[in-house]
Amino acid sequence: MTTHVATDEKNYLQEGHTLASWLLTKDHKRIAVLYLISVSFFFFVGSIAAMMVRLELTSPRGTLMSNETYNKAFSAHGVVMVFFFLVVAIPAIFGNFLIPMQIGARDLAFPRLNLLSWYFYMAGGIMFLIAMMSGGVDAGWTFYTPMSSIYSNGQITLALVGAFVVGFSSIFTGVNFIATIHKMRAPGMTWWRLPLFVWGHYATSLIVILGTPVVAITLLLVVFERVAKIGIFSPELGGDPVLFQHMFWFYSHPAVYIMVLPGMAVISEIMACFSRNKVFGYHFVALSSLGIAALSFIVWGHHMFVSSQSMYQGIFFSFTSFLVAVPSAIKVFNWSLTMYKGSVWLASPMIYALGFLGLFTVGGMTGLYLASVGTDVHVTGTYFVVAHFHYVMVGGTLLAFLGALHFWWPKFFGRMYPEGVAKWNALLVFIGFNLTFLPQFVVGWLGMPRRYHYYYFAPEFQVYHVMSTLGASALAVSLIVPAFYLTYSLFKGPKSPPNPWAARGLEWEAAASPPIKHNFHGVPVVVGDVYDYDAEAEELALRGMTKEEA
Amino acid sequence: MISLKKMNQPQDTVYEQFEDLAQQQETYVLGMWSFLVTEVMFFGVMFMSYIVYRWKYQPYFYALHKELDWRIGGINTAILLASSFSVALAVHYHQKKKKMNVLMCLGFTNLCAISFIVIKLLFEYIPKWNHGHYPGPGFSWDNPYVPSHIAQLWFSLYFGTTGLHGLHVLIGVILFSVLMYLIAVDHPSISDYLPTEMLGLYWHFVDIVWIFLYPLYYLMPK
Amino acid sequence: MSEHAHEHSHHITPISTLVKTLLLLGVLMVTTIAWAQIAPSALKDVPPALASLINNLIAMGIAFIKAVAVIMIFMGVKYQSSIVKLYAALGFLWFTLMFIMFADYGTRHWEAVRGWTPGVKQMAMPRADEPYEEGMPPRKDIKIPDEHH
Repeated sequence: MTTHVATDEKNYLQEGHTLASWLLTKDHKRIAVLYLISVSFFFFVGSIAAMMVRLELTSPRGTLMSNETYNKAFSAHGVVMVFFFLVVAIPAIFGNFLIPMQIGARDLAFPRLNLLSWYFYMAGGIMFLIAMMSGGVDAGWTFYTPMSSIYSNGQITLALVGAFVVGFSSIFTGVNFIATIHKMRAPGMTWWRLPLFVWGHYATSLIVILGTPVVAITLLLVVFERVAKIGIFSPELGGDPVLFQHMFWFYSHPAVYIMVLPGMAVISEIMACFSRNKVFGYHFVALSSLGIAALSFIVWGHHMFVSSQSMYQGIFFSFTSFLVAVPSAIKVFNWSLTMYKGSVWLASPMIYALGFLGLFTVGGMTGLYLASVGTDVHVTGTYFVVAHFHYVMVGGTLLAFLGALHFWWPKFFGRMYPEGVAKWNALLVFIGFNLTFLPQFVVGWLGMPRRYHYYYFAPEFQVYHVMSTLGASALAVSLIVPAFYLTYSLFKGPKSPPNPWAARGLEWEAAASPPIKHNFHGVPVVVGDVYDYDAEAEELALRGMTKEEA
Repeated sequence: MISLKKMNQPQDTVYEQFEDLAQQQETYVLGMWSFLVTEVMFFGVMFMSYIVYRWKYQPYFYALHKELDWRIGGINTAILLASSFSVALAVHYHQKKKKMNVLMCLGFTNLCAISFIVIKLLFEYIPKWNHGHYPGPGFSWDNPYVPSHIAQLWFSLYFGTTGLHGLHVLIGVILFSVLMYLIAVDHPSISDYLPTEMLGLYWHFVDIVWIFLYPLYYLMPK
Repeated sequence: MSEHAHEHSHHITPISTLVKTLLLLGVLMVTTIAWAQIAPSALKDVPPALASLINNLIAMGIAFIKAVAVIMIFMGVKYQSSIVKLYAALGFLWFTLMFIMFADYGTRHWEAVRGWTPGVKQMAMPRADEPYEEGMPPRKDIKIPDEHH
């Protein structure tokens, strides 16, 4: 790898300052920044809805809003967070920016398609915002029929079309990543030299192209059912509403891995860099991503244990769901062992990664409760489920997102943020998160149903809900703080060196921070192994010694 | 002056993100195929719904399939097969850079696609609509042996599946027209045969959907 | 990147191959239509379940061969790299995973509990001696005359 970096050259941020130079750009890095801005906006919208839900639940009698408003609030929270934040955030921002850089390419394979995917994302997002403003959606993010097709009022149709359009945005990104990873790797960048970030995104893209069309057409059929009066899921016509659930979860369970695999991909990078160690069992971590992608398609029925699906199918899905724990556990164990005999550096990205490790493990272990049919029947539709998937989705994906944001911020914008504040903030995220969702495990196990806006039948639950709301407030603060110090660092932060973390990988070693328009000068040639950190030498160097002296 | 005889284009442009033409062409073909994977899954849902309900309501579905005329469907099958052939031929001529032949083949394909839609509308959709054979409150049904609501379910599947397929044909007509125009005026974006090949892949896929759709809906085995 | 760039000129499928494929597709189309017309009389004495199986196998088998011919020759997958072949097969393979849902529809009627409402046996996949819905005859008793129209 060459480390030749000319400093007087224009970086990608300086290649034009007009609005058109951003809105019509084909540069994958600029599109990533467009996504960063828009995804942050939708995250903000989803958080507001979450705060409405949490505030309502501080009182057992549901005094703040009517049940319908409450339904709209949690539906808005679910739809925005799933379709406009979790599925999109890490692939479209960091994948977009980093995949070409990590494999040594000048751009993604199809830059115009990449830009188009951002416009589809915005179009879908705006449709959903309009739907929310002009009546709202009260069917939850799952849009189960016949609730969504027959009974629900409000702007379901527009919201579904929005979700359909945003699905195409993910498909375009997935197609782009697959073609890029297969065909655009630099000389010497073999599959076993690919960073795990790329492996994770490859597995994610496979799920996207195999799953997203299924949910897209299923949601479209519900639209047809509402608008054109055809009725494929309609029990009135002899149709089976559970077929909708089958089709929906055929995508939406794999979609859980669309949300978390990119997060795992980020964690692999951070763990290696801040342990100064090669990722333990690199090959297993890489293949476990593909294993998760494949297995994720044969477990969907565990969302339907209490629907009218046959219990024999339930047994099958219960068994396969336990299998998914294997590749997930491989990853968790290997990350932990990456730190072993490493030289752990507790910088802010690493604190987020450690938080991920703990929270994802709790989320995964409680998933086993839900995978076994008997226990699941007891806790289905309670706050136990809510806590479980928030541990995976927020504790997993959101923490990985924040970790990635801090890790690659200098690469994106060439500026450093105040590290001290960032560290304390990372700790606050961890504490706020646990305060929010740990009580929900308890209250869910005791029987608090999800999607209820009151619980006057069990006022003793109030203490858990108040704890949860307090935690959510702390979490809200810990998400607002980075918005300030990161924006501040954009203008006033100290200039970052090209590789502030002394990290390995083409994006750090062969490119400037921020990179030039074509990423590299010429085509980088890869000769070394991936993650060739030397923890021992670095530990010795801290004591002022070299290996020979020791 | 635009010549129709030979391709008068900047030969084989390689876009800036690629190293050479071979890499660019392989990437485009792989990208198109991964997009077609999504299309397969897309139609897969429609076929799966059909399979589930046909398994459940086989005797009724068998009676209902007689509502469709296999002759009309057969003509449309032949039309799509011919258009698939001519688009493969168009790729062949584009590789040999014979512009007039490419345009003729694409024109024939487009003609086939348009007649497919016209036949579908004139002989199937519009008569069915006029008979009230459209699911919804206005559904009129006079076959005492088949319950009205199951007939509506069947027509929902029929209109949903063939409608989505028809939408793909319509998109094909638009894309073929644009491609023919770009080739005719020697537009710089058509620098090699790949655009024709890409659109050809899409069109063959539309044909494949019909290859399965035709026997399932029009020739439904008892 | 050069490791992927094979120094071959792209394959041009000869017109004769395309014509032969078209002919094959035409013949298969005529076969499947012809079989659909003669099947009801040809399989009159075969048990209905077996006749249904034969008919479905023939119709879908022919469709499968047609699809393979289009994919291999018209779409040129035969002449492409193995990764393209893999992706060409991937969608069709993954579609078959959806058949897992028949583990649901196929076993619902085994369940001890038929439905929540006593006396109503509404279920997705009734057995031959059970009605589709309340008030309908059992599945095996449904007789629909062939020539209604």
